[in-house]
Amino acid sequence: MAQAYHTLYTVVLVALSVLTLLCLERAVRGPGIAERIIAINMICTLTLGMICILALMLSEGYLADIALLYAMIGFLAIVVLCKVYLGVAMEKQEKGDIPK
Amino acid sequence: MMEIVRFVLTALFLLGALVVLAAGVLGQYRFRLALNRLHASSMCDSLGLLSLMIGLSISADDGWVVVKFALTMVFLWIASPTAGHLIARLETTTNPRLDRDMEVLEK
Repeated sequence: MAQAYHTLYTVVLVALSVLTLLCLERAVRGPGIAERIIAINMICTLTLGMICILALMLSEGYLADIALLYAMIGFLAIVVLCKVYLGVAMEKQEKGDIPK
Repeated sequence: MMEIVRFVLTALFLLGALVVLAAGVLGQYRFRLALNRLHASSMCDSLGLLSLMIGLSISADDGWVVVKFALTMVFLWIASPTAGHLIARLETTTNPRLDRDMEVLEK
């Protein structure tokens, strides 16, 4: 039974990593800044799933704590990125580079 | 017998989560507008990770791991809509041609 669980987790992990690579390609090629941030958010989500699977696959309970921390750090990164680019856009609008 | 039922349930939930996550990534490729892509990625955050966590919780032997997974999901359900709102506001502020793609009531 342990072998079956191991195989299942490996299959899901491989599929998740392929999805993450596809998302990374979208983050590089996305035309606007919002598309890139959305792709980064999705990479964060997929990595969270991978950490949770690894917590059971290696039977290390502390990896579940790391998943919680990773969710917090990912949320923080999104908030900071959005605030920074919102500030940049406001500054450009005040200077009149792009119309309101 | 019980072990087999648990394994089948875990496999079903994990594969369902994979389908939802793959649909989210497909949405990143098929949709052109950022707000449409936001919809696909939010679906991944809520339904995809929820079914992944349910599948893992069924197969978990340790009770504390299940509690930590539940805590992660509760946090994610608060954080993900907030992040989506921030990204949508960034898009509506920075995209000057937004009213060409959709009807904008108030900016």
